[in-house]
Amino acid sequence: MKNKIGIYICQCGSNISDYVDVEKVRDEVATMDGVALARTTMFACSDSAQNEIIEDIRNEHLDAIVVASCSPKLHLFTFRNVAIRGGLNPYNYVQVNIREQDSWAHSDNPAEATIKAVKLVKAGIERVKYSKALVPIDIPATNRVLVIGAGVAGMRAAIDLSSMGTKVYLIEREHFVGGRTSQWSRLFTSNETGEEVVYRLYNQVEKDPNITLYTGTELVSMKGTVGNFVATITITPRYISPGCNIDEDAELEKRLQKAIDACPVEIPDPFNFNIATQKALYRNFHSEFPVCPAIDMKSCTRCGECKKYLEYVDLDQQEETLDLHIGAIITATGFDTYEPEPSLYGYQTLDNVITLPQFKRLIELNEEKLTFHNRHIRNIAYIYCVGSRQTEGENKYCSRYCCTSAIHAAIHAKSKYEGINNYHFNRGIRTYGKQETLYSEALENGDVFLQFDEDHPPTVDLKSGKTSVTVRDILTSDHEITALVDLVVLVTAMVPRAHNQVAGILKIPVGRDHFFNEIHPKLKPVETVIDGIFICGACQAPHNITESTKSALSAASKANAMLREEKIKLEPTIAKISAELCTWCNACSEICPFDAITKKQFNGKDIARVDESICKGCGMCLPVCDQNAIELIGYTDTEIESMIDQLAV
Amino acid sequence: MTKNTVFPASYDTLVMGGGIAGEEAALNLADQGYKILMVEKDLSIGGKMIHLSKVFPTLDCAACITTPKVSEVARHPNITLLTYCDTKEISKNGGKEFEVSIEKKPRYVNEETCTGCQLCEEKCPVFIKDQFQYDMVGRKAIYVPFSIANPRIATIDIENCILCGACEKVCPADCIDFTQEAEMLNITVKSVILATGFKLFDASIIERYGYGKFHNVVTAMHMEKQLVPTRPYNEVLRPKDGKMPDNIAYVLCTGSRDATVGNPYCSQICCMYSIKQAQLLLGALPMADITIYFLHIRAFGKGFEEFYQQARAMDVEFIKGKIGRITEQENGNLILRYEDIEAGIVKEAEHDLVVLSTGILPDALPENLFSNQPLELDMFHFVKQVDELASPAKTSIEGVFVAGTASGPMDIPDSILSAGAASSETAAYLRRLS
Amino acid sequence: MTVDNHANILVFSTEKISDPAIDLAGLLKKHYPASVVTISLPCSSAVKPRWILRAFDKGFNGVFIAADGTDCPYSNECSENTSAIVNKAQEMMKDKGLDPARLKMAAICSVCAEAFVKHMLAFVKSLSEEQEN
Repeated sequence: MKNKIGIYICQCGSNISDYVDVEKVRDEVATMDGVALARTTMFACSDSAQNEIIEDIRNEHLDAIVVASCSPKLHLFTFRNVAIRGGLNPYNYVQVNIREQDSWAHSDNPAEATIKAVKLVKAGIERVKYSKALVPIDIPATNRVLVIGAGVAGMRAAIDLSSMGTKVYLIEREHFVGGRTSQWSRLFTSNETGEEVVYRLYNQVEKDPNITLYTGTELVSMKGTVGNFVATITITPRYISPGCNIDEDAELEKRLQKAIDACPVEIPDPFNFNIATQKALYRNFHSEFPVCPAIDMKSCTRCGECKKYLEYVDLDQQEETLDLHIGAIITATGFDTYEPEPSLYGYQTLDNVITLPQFKRLIELNEEKLTFHNRHIRNIAYIYCVGSRQTEGENKYCSRYCCTSAIHAAIHAKSKYEGINNYHFNRGIRTYGKQETLYSEALENGDVFLQFDEDHPPTVDLKSGKTSVTVRDILTSDHEITALVDLVVLVTAMVPRAHNQVAGILKIPVGRDHFFNEIHPKLKPVETVIDGIFICGACQAPHNITESTKSALSAASKANAMLREEKIKLEPTIAKISAELCTWCNACSEICPFDAITKKQFNGKDIARVDESICKGCGMCLPVCDQNAIELIGYTDTEIESMIDQLAV
Repeated sequence: MTKNTVFPASYDTLVMGGGIAGEEAALNLADQGYKILMVEKDLSIGGKMIHLSKVFPTLDCAACITTPKVSEVARHPNITLLTYCDTKEISKNGGKEFEVSIEKKPRYVNEETCTGCQLCEEKCPVFIKDQFQYDMVGRKAIYVPFSIANPRIATIDIENCILCGACEKVCPADCIDFTQEAEMLNITVKSVILATGFKLFDASIIERYGYGKFHNVVTAMHMEKQLVPTRPYNEVLRPKDGKMPDNIAYVLCTGSRDATVGNPYCSQICCMYSIKQAQLLLGALPMADITIYFLHIRAFGKGFEEFYQQARAMDVEFIKGKIGRITEQENGNLILRYEDIEAGIVKEAEHDLVVLSTGILPDALPENLFSNQPLELDMFHFVKQVDELASPAKTSIEGVFVAGTASGPMDIPDSILSAGAASSETAAYLRRLS
Repeated sequence: MTVDNHANILVFSTEKISDPAIDLAGLLKKHYPASVVTISLPCSSAVKPRWILRAFDKGFNGVFIAADGTDCPYSNECSENTSAIVNKAQEMMKDKGLDPARLKMAAICSVCAEAFVKHMLAFVKSLSEEQEN
């Protein structure tokens, strides 16, 4: 039992001391049995305070320390390292949370917050008294990462992982790589098109021997933990045999076109956000990567018409399932675009109301003249914040990219076609940073900006064949202004992927906005609460391409740092069986989700045995043991019960 | 006079700048086993962030996030830290490496032996305004810059020192050394990360706001110092008469989105830091009225819009208005003449304290820092990202990468991610070299 | 008993799922009585019934298990397992003449700060009423 314990009560600047009387807490706990010293400190995590703790450990020969400060989720490891540097075992350190679960939660009642802090610190002291010196378990880890999603973020993460010495499996649900960027085409901040950026990255991915790319592939299940995951993927065939490399063969490309023309199936084309159609045999654009067409078997009728022109068609290809052994996962699954309610601003009820992504494709599909449903488009209304910044229901967040994206599209349309007039119905333009220059350019172009607030959205009407958008414009002291337009573009939000089974399989927590949630936006911005699972790009929150790339590279860097040594330290908090008490009833081995418990012989009787490299320390086996023969290291009966005793006082 | 010292080492990476971006990039690389030299021009690392109170949108205390990183940098076995040093020249040698010359400025205090006990500070007879506290309080000519500085050691401000020798007499470690001179250090590195950060717009340039003339017109950074845990008065007070303000105005876009001062871009952080300060002020001064004059509220990041709506729900008033002129009244209050854009008329409002939310400017790198290969800058003089979409840390010089606000306005989460990108690209580059 | 005479509640939270929600409640300054204290475990299916009984024995008015539910990173049978613990503990409580309503469980996800605070306010209220009766 520890009996020279050092106690540090952090003021956290004033975050704690504004509500908790830290001196009182110190005085109350200083006299407890086993406490050698108790101090208050302005910032326990600062370098000077850390050094003071280390000096105390050495000079006062402390055998354990307690820091009462913020949540252990922030600084448990900071102070464990302090313990190590002072010469203590890191597990003879206990962190008591008197900020998130006390001073902040009870800022309305400082007197009670102080009483609670005393109890919490006393419980922490009891716990540390019974703490044992523990050594982390080293397990071998696979220096290989599964990157999910081969958009710009995923490909970029894969390339850098490989350059840093980590092997990569890169999987993509679609048959073609590039994600949303390949759909955007013209991009802001670059003269390159989306296709060109994708091409550049794809080329690197393809020739990199350390990256294995699977298209048409989805994650279906996952087992294991950090360092040693087994991911099961299914690969949907393209139904085209290898070697159909259209890029190098003009004659072959002609035959492909004939084969596509021959296909009798015509379905909405998701690449063009359904404003065009595609065949069951398809490619999205010339020289898309991989440069090989694919057949959508969900709509194919197996009529065989295409095979008459394209001998590579092979309708007998089979779906494949593979197990990948990996050490970590980076999800770069991207976003969906918001689908407005039918009839909102005339969406789907008027034939000239489309979304921003559709508009961007429309510009790509129209060369000389901008037409939609045979109508020549000159006057365009853009209605902003559709599905973003909603006061009611979901999507309270700002989608970040849409102001810039809509203005960029408007400028593009104006420069590409003659006679375009743009009317922007917005809720305050958010072209943050250098993107402001685009807004200035649009103003110089003569684009009209009209602003509304959340309570008075514009209305879209159809009268005698004319579409009109009417708004009470804030910028002209609430004058009602109407624009007659040929096309209404709804500037739709970024939303989390609708069909994203990855979240369910990996059990990544999502935030209030339903995007994947990082642990902390500043401390652990690409890490999730599940060790070894990283997130990046727009699956995490709305991001533009640069921002996605940055987070992808950050995730690559973290994943590489985790696996490069090919071993991982695991917490030694595992279940321990008392050979004396155990009577082998099998209850523990039945409930263990990891099959870590087996039967063994000990002194002539059957008892349970825990495999340390498999046990994850969840503790599920504890309550089912009628003999109370199982303890979880770090959470033993003496530790927990002594805490309960202190907290109950 | 400077003397030349051969600094006994070469490094994998030179990280210029010890703010949050530089720290993050250095730690990432150091954890991967690379040897890093971090050079900081100021007395302490920690950059701008270490001086902040709480940070949006989580309202975490800034110190809780930076100090552990600062402390990790200072003690990481793979990081060598030089503070109070200027990087003078970087030139690519015949191979793939860079020769770097660094000027180590004299502290007149032995860095190795100073314990930061501050006895010298007590004895020093010279009082001057403390620039780290926005001149709100004084400091001595020999001083530890601020309580959570790293390294936490004393420096003599030789301009203001009267050479009385009081510090020398009292120093228990005998570390005062008036004979110190600037030293030149020459080192070799394989790569460079520019994490030189930003500077804030000088509000006195916009004369009609009266900053520098009217005492109760302050900048947001000044206000920030009144909100941090180590705040000088433990209260929010206005400068002119020490009165607790109860009707505070924020003027957004001071020096941003304003071509007339040569700064047409949006600084990206001012809306959010002003909204944050408004929320904190309502904690410190629950009865105060706070008005934010804005053109557009740019609450675009994760959780930002929700944070903005929270401020509105707390009755912070938001007025879409352009400020024409600020004038001072006899009692120190200020009259804001502004165009109320929603009403379409010019109005006047009285406030007892005006906070100017100043924007971000590039912190100019020394001229000809890269002596044999020019570093390209963008049209706003930030470091140019030559492949912004696919390789955001890449600059015009191979082996030189950029992190954080050196490449443009960015908030803290974005700076950290950009530092992550810089370290990843640097690690990949170093591996290709070897 | 605390100064405001609220019922004492011991919460068993889980390090990866429900404890972050309780932290978040603090971060958002969502208030609940300070008579609520927390012990954090790896998983809500690791709570030993004897600990629950010990808490009542030592004077807690209520015990609340902030369960992982379907978010459990260890097992998708976590909800059932935690329920089984509650049932077992409630049987033991009945044997000792304790009202089984003094033990509650609910799944608290990692961002369920609001839900947690609501549970606490309601539980404190019901326990306080019970105390008065």
